[in-house]
Order: sequence, then C-alpha cells, then structure tokens
Amino acid sequence: MQTAKKIIINVFLLSILSFFYGSNDLFADEASEIKEMTSVRFVQKLFQDGNVKSERGNVGDAVIYGLESLIDFNLMAKLCLGKKHWKRLSKEGRVEFAQLLVERLKQSYLDKLDLYTDEEVEVVEARKTGKNRVEILTNIVGIDTKLEMVFKFYKSKNKGWMVYDAVILGVSIVQTYRSQFSGILKKESLEKLIERLRSSTELGS
Amino acid sequence: MPKNNFVFLTFLMILSISLMPFMEFRALAQANNPVSSETVLDTSSETDTDEEEDGFDAEFEDEFGDAEKEVFDPLSGYNSVMTGFNDGFYIYVLDPVARGYRWVLPDTARRGVKSFFHNLLFPLRFVNNALQLKVKNAGDEFLRFSINSTIGILGIWDPAKEWFGLEAHEEDFGQTLGFYGVGGGFHVVLPFLGPSNVRDMFSLYPDMQMDPVNYVETRPYNFPKQEGESLGVSRQTLQQTELTLLKTINRESLRIGQYENLKKDAIELYPFLRDVYEQNRAKLIRE
Repeated sequence: MQTAKKIIINVFLLSILSFFYGSNDLFADEASEIKEMTSVRFVQKLFQDGNVKSERGNVGDAVIYGLESLIDFNLMAKLCLGKKHWKRLSKEGRVEFAQLLVERLKQSYLDKLDLYTDEEVEVVEARKTGKNRVEILTNIVGIDTKLEMVFKFYKSKNKGWMVYDAVILGVSIVQTYRSQFSGILKKESLEKLIERLRSSTELGS
Repeated sequence: MPKNNFVFLTFLMILSISLMPFMEFRALAQANNPVSSETVLDTSSETDTDEEEDGFDAEFEDEFGDAEKEVFDPLSGYNSVMTGFNDGFYIYVLDPVARGYRWVLPDTARRGVKSFFHNLLFPLRFVNNALQLKVKNAGDEFLRFSINSTIGILGIWDPAKEWFGLEAHEEDFGQTLGFYGVGGGFHVVLPFLGPSNVRDMFSLYPDMQMDPVNYVETRPYNFPKQEGESLGVSRQTLQQTELTLLKTINRESLRIGQYENLKKDAIELYPFLRDVYEQNRAKLIRE
C-alpha cells in the first residue's frame, strides 16, 4: 500500500513538473505529446490564423518568429539540397545557401497562408511513422473545397517536435526542391545555383 | 492450383509492365553519363564530417529517396516550350478574364455554376469508382447525383454534402489505369490543358466520352442562332466550345492566385510543374 501511495504521489508531482516545463515537457510521454499535437490549438499555431491577412512586414516577421519554434527551416534547406551536394559546399557556402533557401521557404509558406485565410483547419489524425517521427494530417476546408495538408514532424533533441516537411495534396515541398536542384545541378555548377537563388530572392523581396 | 498460377502470372505481368519505364531510364541513365555513378561512389567513400552532428541526416536522406534518379523525359524540349506557352496564356489571357468574370458574378453564382458542371460529371466518377471496385464510393456518387440533381436543383447546390455528409470521390480513367498498375510513362505538356503524361493523355478520350457537355445536341430550339455558323464551324462544336470556356473561366475564377502562389516555389518552371503533377497524380492513385 505504501509503495502504491508513493507512486501516486510521484506521478502527481511529475505531472505538475511537466506542466511547468510547458513546451519542453520532458516528462510527458510520447503518446500524450502526439495527442497534444492533434489539438486544433496546436495546429493553429502553424497557420497563425488571421494575423497574416493584415499587413506584411512586421506582422509577417512576428508570424515567422512564431513559426520558427515549430518549423525547422534550416533542416528543410539541407534536405532540399540533398546530402551529396551539401557535402560539396564549403562552410561559408552552407551558411549562405541555408540563408537563401530558408528565406525562400519562409516567404513561400507565408504566401500560402495568405491564400487560405477564410478556410478552416481540421485535424484528421496523427500517424506515428517511425521512431521520432509523426505525421499530422490536416484538411483545409473552404466552402466547397478541401485541401489535404500533411505536416511531418521529427523530435529534435532540444526543441521538441519540429516540422521538417509539409505535403500539400501529395506534393512535398522538400521533394519538389530536391528534384529541382538535382536537375539543375546536372547542368550547372553549385555556385551558379546559389547565384540564381540570390537573384530570385532579391527580386521576390 | 492452375487457377492460382494464372493469378500469379497476371500479377507478374502487371508488375513487369509497370516497372518497364523504370528499367528503361535506368539503362538510359547509365548509358548517358557513366561519370555520375563514379561520383556517387566517390562521395560515399568520403568520411562524414559535421553532418552527423545531429544524427538525423542519414535517416532523412533515406526518407526522401534518391534525388539523383534520372527522369525519363524524351519530350523535355517541347515540354518546356509548351509550359512557357501555357504559362503566358494563363497569365495574360485566362487570369485577367477570370478576374473580370469574378468581378461581374457574385461568389454564390459562380459556385452554383461550378457545382452544376461538377454534378454533370457524375458518369465519369461513377464508372471509374466502379472500375476500381470502390463500391461504397460508387454508391456515394450515385446517391449524390440523385440528391443533387433533384433537391439540389440540377446540381447548382450540394445538399448531398451539406445535409447527408456525402463527399464526392473524384476519379478519372487515368487513375483507374494507375490503380491497376499502369505506369504514367513520360511527361507530356498539352497545349492549354497543361501537364499530363502518356497514360493520362490517352485517358482524356474516355473521360471526354463521359462528359455530358460533349453531348450537347444541335437542336434549333436549344440555343439561338450562333454567329460562328457562317464561319463554317458546326453549331455543335461552337456550343461545346462555349460551354467548355464557361466551365474553365468559372473554375479559374474560384482559384485566382493559386497558380501564381504555387509558382513561387519554382526555380525552373517546367521541371517544377512536372514534379508537382506527378507527385499529385501518384497520391490520387494511391487513394
């Protein structure tokens, strides 16, 4: 009886602790974490409802700041280029490439949000696809449209669950960039590709 | 036993047919650049440097598969030119027209038009769901058509979904072929219609046969006299073209800005759109 009581008290204390740790919840088990991820409140953070529609600039920055805690843009940039080409880049080259692509990915994500402000987000399910991997399946529902969007999460060591890819109607953002880059790099040098990214980012902003 | 053998043989045949395109381009890729296989070997022998810091890269790499995979694209030259043409057509003609149309007609009316044409495509969805043995979906489609054509007033409104929760199940013949393992073949960009591939291009014909818009008959009391008749165009073609135009402009008016938005992720337009199309089709077939 005594031990049972102890256990109950411990569990209680742990749950309080984990509550205070908030986003880092070191003590919560994975199942409940995943469950939390399917809550509308959580997913809404990815869409930042309403904020985006108003002005660009500052508001966009604020939204991006919020998104950065959930989306690992740096990892996405890395994955977009692929390991083989990434290795060929120098240290400075990596930094620049990541910066350029991250900028692009952010902008593209913001623009996508802009387009879907009147729609509602509906969470369908969370799927555990492997160790430290979860997919959240969402539908963006308009009056007579339904857009399926999947967010792929991995569990990072210090930042918790982070998005590393988004799949819209079966089209993966990372995959699309990967095949584009590998196609371009068959014809052109890596330097030229970076040059291209640089000029297109300048044009876009 | 013989029956089992037969099933197995059929399965093998379908499998080999669907794998054929892959074998083809693998052979082609090797013939074209033997250098690339060398470089692959080269990098793999290299020692990993700071890549392993977070320990995730290797796993992620496997997940996204081989980026170096060669795409068999014999028409790439024509395709990129046609993509440029379609892009120009969209930006300078279709988009402005659709925007004007949106300005004239209220949202509700345009949704009504869209639903009306969508309802008409019932035979296409029904037959292809049935061909893929998706019995429940075919049944849903049948119910949807019955409800929407009557209560929904010729389909301009969608009570089947709003009241009965019956969702549409989009299927076309290309998806049916894909369902039975027919590979897409190489990519073809069609004028005005946009990205397609060999399989989906040939599927356009059966698809059109199931679109009632193409069965509009020439009857003197159907429509008032048409201008184009004097140009030697038959009245039927003219009416079909008009309906198709209306359908297209109406559809585009409801998704203005989406194409431009999509395009922002493109570094080179043609390979990007090709990839988007093939990924999307693969998903639709998987479902």
